[in-house]
Parts: sequence; C-alpha cells; structure tokens
Amino acid sequence: MSASVGIVLVSHSAELAAGLRLLVEQIGSDTVPLATAGGTDDGRIGTSYDLVLAAIRSVDRGQGVVVLPDLGSSVLTARTVLEDHPHPDALIVDAPFVEGAVAAVVTAASGADLKTVADAAKEARHVHKL
Amino acid sequence: MSTSSEPTTTTATTVSRHERAVVLPANLHARPAGQLARAAATFTSAIQLEHGDRTVNPTGVLAVMGLGATLGSTVTVRAEGPDAEQAVETLAQILAAAE
Repeated sequence: MSASVGIVLVSHSAELAAGLRLLVEQIGSDTVPLATAGGTDDGRIGTSYDLVLAAIRSVDRGQGVVVLPDLGSSVLTARTVLEDHPHPDALIVDAPFVEGAVAAVVTAASGADLKTVADAAKEARHVHKL
Repeated sequence: MSTSSEPTTTTATTVSRHERAVVLPANLHARPAGQLARAAATFTSAIQLEHGDRTVNPTGVLAVMGLGATLGSTVTVRAEGPDAEQAVETLAQILAAAE
C-alpha cells in the first residue's frame, strides 16, 4: 500500500497531544504518519512555531498533511507556520480535537486521499455521541 | 461465534445483498469501532450497521461508536454490492469477536 496522509496534532499541552496520540493509535492505526506539536519549546503550556513546523515536515510522505489544532493559539500558530512555509498539500482542519483526530487517522489508515481525510475530521463535528 | 446467520441473497445481476445479525459479546467500544471502520473501507459494496432504530455507515468510526450498542444487543450488518457477502462476513466476525 502507498503512503498515507500524515496527521499533525497541535495542542497547548504536550501531555494532551501525546495522550491523544496513544488513543488514536489504538482505535485507528499506528501505521499512519502522525506527529504531535504540544506545548512550548521549553515544555510549558502554549504553542511552538518550531515544533509545529517540524511536525508537519516529519509526517509528509507526499500524500498531504492534515493539521488538527486544539484551540486558540494552536490555530494561530499553525496558520502562521503554513503562511511562512506554503505547502499546497497541508490543510488546517476545523474539527473537534479528539473526535477529529480519531476520524482522520481511521480514514487515513484505509488509504484515503487528503480531501477525504480532511472531510472525515470536519464531519466529526456533526456525529452525536449519545 | 454467537451469530444468527440469515443471509438473503438475490443474484439479479452481479450485485448481491447479504445481511447477518450478531448478538454482541461485549459493548461496542472504540477499538472494535475502529476495526469495523477500517475493514468497511476496503469493500466496494454499500454497507450498513443497524442497531435498534438507528442505521449508520460503518466507515464512520464516530457514528459506529455513537450507536451505543451494548453487550447482548443485536447489531445487523447489511451489504449490497459485488463483494457484499465478504463484507458481511468480515464485519460480522469483528462484531462477534469484540471484547
């Protein structure tokens, strides 16, 4: 099977991103290229331009990259990174963090293309838990 | 395997329809939901999972979890298409093996 779409989890908290990573690896797949960019460069709560940039580069296998920010400055930082380093196949997706990550990884694991993976994450907003 | 198998096959052309009901041996948790979604994506047939009065497309992992299907309840797998029989067989096995 060819390489799949890469996923980047951007969070204010390194622990939150790392925990979500463990979760999606169990529900979805541990073969999808996945990177986390959590916390600041010195490990505090916040976001890091350099960590986000490195994460995007590390999961790019030529099939595109879906960037999932948790909220607030994660969104702003991810946007700034992609404005400074234009990448035609990297998309910031507006989705609930946990549900979007699960849907994106499961969809990417089945070999879906960038748009399908991004749509799966977006649609996570509309799926009821109860 | 605690499945009640009643495949209804109509071979009008090459398209067939199959279905099977599975009594869940465990709650339909996140992990089997992920397995179902990934398996469902490998078939070309249209597949449905039915639980109670709700029907979902099993390629949607969140929708499968949202069924809230619990131990002892029945989930019916339906598929229509060229690989319907295989699809139903594969998904029913995942449901029956859920822990």
